[in-house]
Amino acid sequence: MQNFIIGIIILALTVGLYIIYLRKDKTKLKKAVQRGVKNLIQNSIRIFAIFVIIGILQNFLSKESVGNFLLKFSGIKGIFTGTIVGAIMMGPVATGYPISKYLLENMAPISLVTSFLASWVMIGFISISLEVKNFGKRFTVVRNLFAFISVIIIALIMEVLL
Amino acid sequence: MKTILEDYIIELVICAVAIILMILNPHKVVLGLTYAVNMYVSLFLVILSVAFISGFISETVPPNTIAKIIGKKSGWKGVLIGAVFGTFMVGPSYVFYTLFRNLIDKGAGINVIATTIGAWAIKVQWIPFAISILGWKFVVIFNSLIFIYAIISGYVVDFFVKRKESRKD
Repeated sequence: MQNFIIGIIILALTVGLYIIYLRKDKTKLKKAVQRGVKNLIQNSIRIFAIFVIIGILQNFLSKESVGNFLLKFSGIKGIFTGTIVGAIMMGPVATGYPISKYLLENMAPISLVTSFLASWVMIGFISISLEVKNFGKRFTVVRNLFAFISVIIIALIMEVLL
Repeated sequence: MKTILEDYIIELVICAVAIILMILNPHKVVLGLTYAVNMYVSLFLVILSVAFISGFISETVPPNTIAKIIGKKSGWKGVLIGAVFGTFMVGPSYVFYTLFRNLIDKGAGINVIATTIGAWAIKVQWIPFAISILGWKFVVIFNSLIFIYAIISGYVVDFFVKRKESRKD
């Protein structure tokens, strides 16, 4: 529903921009439409492929199996494993909260739970190809490497504070 | 043909993996494909709008306009705009990547875009649900730290990446 509302707002904004510009320069607008169609086709193929892999992953990795796997680790190993597993997990993070609750109920350290959740939202292993295509290798490597380091720091801070 | 192969290599690999998994466990793959279709349909308006806004920006908006608002010289204001936009938007950030790339091409600061992507990790719409499961203390500290990370991330990426390198031609 939220996606639909945001979609309607952005679509209205887009249509508004096109209508306003219609009086100014029709030739440029025609080019913009052509580019828009090209973008739509390219983006749809790439985004749909990511959705397919997320859908398959979600069905092959059950909440219990992920939770039980993570419970085997603690300390620095736990933080690293949580970060790597979180980076592989994709899709709405709402699925990650019940796993985190399960981990906490089973006495997992806060740092492990935090690294798992933070990595889930901050590092997108599956969307890296899209990031490289749009922003280049250097941008992607620096951003994700910094995110990886930040996940570990955030996990350690949370462990101290909670 | 070669260009198509190079451009869509990852999508083709995903397709091959899906076919192999379909042979091994058709039921789960069908569930996965259903999920993909549902996600695409629910985000279609966003995907459609992003495609056409990107087209509009790349063809009609003069570079100075974007550079003034969210260019590198826009300073903390530009970073703040990126952080707030990233925090409050819904859906996966990668749906917006084409738009961000066009904004960079038109003069947006790399720091602003990196901050926006970083702040996307704050899932505002899920905060009430997260609090009900993990408690307010965990959620508030967790998201505050992510917000700080997002802003620092902008400066770090900007420091290491030059404008021309941010684009793969």
